Amino acid sequence: MIWKLSLTGIKSRLKDYLVLFSGLTVASMVFYMFLAIAVNPAFIKNDIHVRTDYLKYIFIFGIVLLVIITLVYLLYADTFLLSMRKHDYGMYMMLGAKSTRIGRLIFGETLITGLLATFLGLILGFGLTWISLKILISKLGLEIPHFQAILPNAIIITIAFFLVIFLVVALANVYKLTHTPVITLLHEDQAPVKFRYRPFLRVIEAAGGVFLLAIGYYVMTLPKEQVFKIIPTALVTIVIGSYLIFAAVFSSLVGLLLKRKSFSYHGIRMFTLGQLKFRLQSYTRVLTMISLLFALALGAITVGLNFDSLNDLATQSVYYDATIVSNSSAVKKAESKLDVISKQTYHYKETKKVLYFDQAELSKQPAKYVSVNYSNNRGVTQYTVKALQVNKISDSNAIDNTIFMRMVPNHGQQKVKLVSSKELSKLSGQKNFVSLLRVKDFRQAYPIIAKMESQQVKEKPAFSALVPQSKAAFYGNSLAYSSSFEFMGFFLGFAFLTMLASTLMFKVLSGAAGDKAKYRMLYQMGTRKQLLRRSIKAEIGVLFLLPALLGVIDVLFGLQLFKDLLENPYRSIWIPFVIFIILYSFYYLLTVKLYEKLVLTKE
Amino acid sequence: MTEILRVEQVTKTYGKRGEKQYQALKGINFTVNSGEYVAIMGASGSGKTTLLNILSTLDKPTSGHVFINHEDNSTLNANQLADFRSKQIGFIFQDFNLLENLTNRENIALPLSLRGISTKRIDPLIDRIAGRLGIEQILAKYPAEVSGGQKQRVAAARALVHEPAILLADEPTGALDSKSARELLDTMEDLNQNDGITTLMVTHDPFAASFASRILFIKDGKIGKQMLKNELSRQEFYHLLIDHLDTDE
Repeated sequence: MIWKLSLTGIKSRLKDYLVLFSGLTVASMVFYMFLAIAVNPAFIKNDIHVRTDYLKYIFIFGIVLLVIITLVYLLYADTFLLSMRKHDYGMYMMLGAKSTRIGRLIFGETLITGLLATFLGLILGFGLTWISLKILISKLGLEIPHFQAILPNAIIITIAFFLVIFLVVALANVYKLTHTPVITLLHEDQAPVKFRYRPFLRVIEAAGGVFLLAIGYYVMTLPKEQVFKIIPTALVTIVIGSYLIFAAVFSSLVGLLLKRKSFSYHGIRMFTLGQLKFRLQSYTRVLTMISLLFALALGAITVGLNFDSLNDLATQSVYYDATIVSNSSAVKKAESKLDVISKQTYHYKETKKVLYFDQAELSKQPAKYVSVNYSNNRGVTQYTVKALQVNKISDSNAIDNTIFMRMVPNHGQQKVKLVSSKELSKLSGQKNFVSLLRVKDFRQAYPIIAKMESQQVKEKPAFSALVPQSKAAFYGNSLAYSSSFEFMGFFLGFAFLTMLASTLMFKVLSGAAGDKAKYRMLYQMGTRKQLLRRSIKAEIGVLFLLPALLGVIDVLFGLQLFKDLLENPYRSIWIPFVIFIILYSFYYLLTVKLYEKLVLTKE
Repeated sequence: MTEILRVEQVTKTYGKRGEKQYQALKGINFTVNSGEYVAIMGASGSGKTTLLNILSTLDKPTSGHVFINHEDNSTLNANQLADFRSKQIGFIFQDFNLLENLTNRENIALPLSLRGISTKRIDPLIDRIAGRLGIEQILAKYPAEVSGGQKQRVAAARALVHEPAILLADEPTGALDSKSARELLDTMEDLNQNDGITTLMVTHDPFAASFASRILFIKDGKIGKQMLKNELSRQEFYHLLIDHLDTDE
């Protein structure tokens, strides 16, 4: 009988239940997707070109973050579940149901809801992993062949993790509800709100918050040698600073606005401000956490995308974009597709001991090279373009040797001799040529140049000795390395964003039941529905905006940490920002719609 | 005397056609004149709440008309109805319905700012009604910081600050102790007699009803009898009312 009651209870609030259920599904889906990378040794070993021990720390860090946010998220989702069912449970108990029966009911409901959501999340996780795999490979040109959508390890860990969590949550729910007086279960929504009225303390808190944040932001600009001091200091000051800012600054601002009657005595503003003041006080913790996670998520995507700039760095040590040693029609055809800005060709002949080059050609256009200087005191590498000094060529000069090594395959022990073109023709042996090209946009030309290289290896196997030194090769290696970081950055960023946005959503929705009476009263007093809707939009909008704003500021300062690792950490920062705005706005609109459904009664 | 409220042949039927229907109101007719204090009495299920919801334009009658200040509110759309309520009707609810997160002053200011009254005029209007109801001292406090009786006075101030055509009170003493209830009823009587505020109170409590000048009895969806106070004192009216209720049982 009591199970039948439970089912009818769920049926009557099916829409709210679906919201909760989809939220839980998203959690397990994201969890699985992350594990599909983190516990896939083949992928990590072969596709991510970083030292594995180093990577282990990154993944452990990622998993810890994910576990924390999943726990917090489930906690809020559970509060939402309880806020829906509390009244029903209270009623069953009032009607005389034994608390052990009710306990079993609560336990069963929580566990079944949780596990069903976990399984659905897994299935969606397979699909989404597969889709993101396809997108990443095709759109970003990532090379991640060992990544797979269905990974048994990840499935087992996901199920085990959620099973344990939901068991604990179910037990906690049973304890909470069976130890709450029935009267509280029935009327908790009507409990009066407690306010803090000490303005002096508020001012101190606000000042402290701003001060701590300033310290946190400042330490992140310090040189990286002090990294072991920077990170703990920044972590502590920013967490506490954000908390104080939410606890004091924002609610004081709302309080000031309320007191400014020329502003607040206007339409429904007073009500909206009153709601906000109350929310900011009871949401301090969740808003702090969301602003921090928002910063982490946005930071992860920004930094991930920025690893792309390493690819430019990788190519800076080589001056020429392409080397041509064959004049076959296939190579010529490929060359014609390139947007060449300079091309110089040198002819040479070689014997076992000597390499003869045409002096006129080299003197007219001396081959250039990039001189790399590491001796900068801040650890920044300097690149200078220099030209071969044709008059002073010496076999003992390492630089000269390197230049010729990049032009002639297997050049090692031969002496270099410059001769006139007449003398070169007279010498016995086959006359070879090498053309050095620079193109307008290397990144764009990379696929053609890479193809041209492999074509030449096919035609002249000796050419393969030149390939590892080429710009294309450096760029290709770097691409593989950076794409794995981009992938992780994107993934963690998305995962965090979806979870934090839904956490905020559940927090807002779980308060809806208590707000219903307020909106009904306003409606009775003659407030138009549009005005009520506008108030809801503004109120939830501010709740979404504030942590995002603080999160963005955190990221802008936090990127300073990466200024030594990345050339320009702020490059293309608009891309992650736009992605975030779109995704976050979607959650905002969804929350507004659901909240309106919950609080605005139909006529 | 001008007529403030006219209720004509109002019926309300619940349930769709073809299904089992229930008629909550079966042709209600009455009028309330300006400056009158009318109580509507009835037991649970008599149709009191349905009638009040229709009078306050929150619900529409199945048939019949309700005129407030000669305006037929069945012809109005949702927005016009909202505007109509904000202008013509003041509400007092059983459980006060004050917003806990606003001070008492802000609670009273709400109907004025919703109606777009200019900022400068709002505070003087609040001070005037607060002085009238004796709540000047608690305006800066929050509802949670004051007693139930004071809360209901704040609610009354909120209902009256915009000078509505009629005050609708739904069991206003239902959540008050007897002393606070008495004080509130005295205040409402005073407001009616000295400020001419037209009041319609719905209650099942004979003591509260005895403060009115006329009592309408609603039973099974119909207005049965009505009782007039005329020249009787409140006590005499109360005893008459008790006698009537006893014989009516």
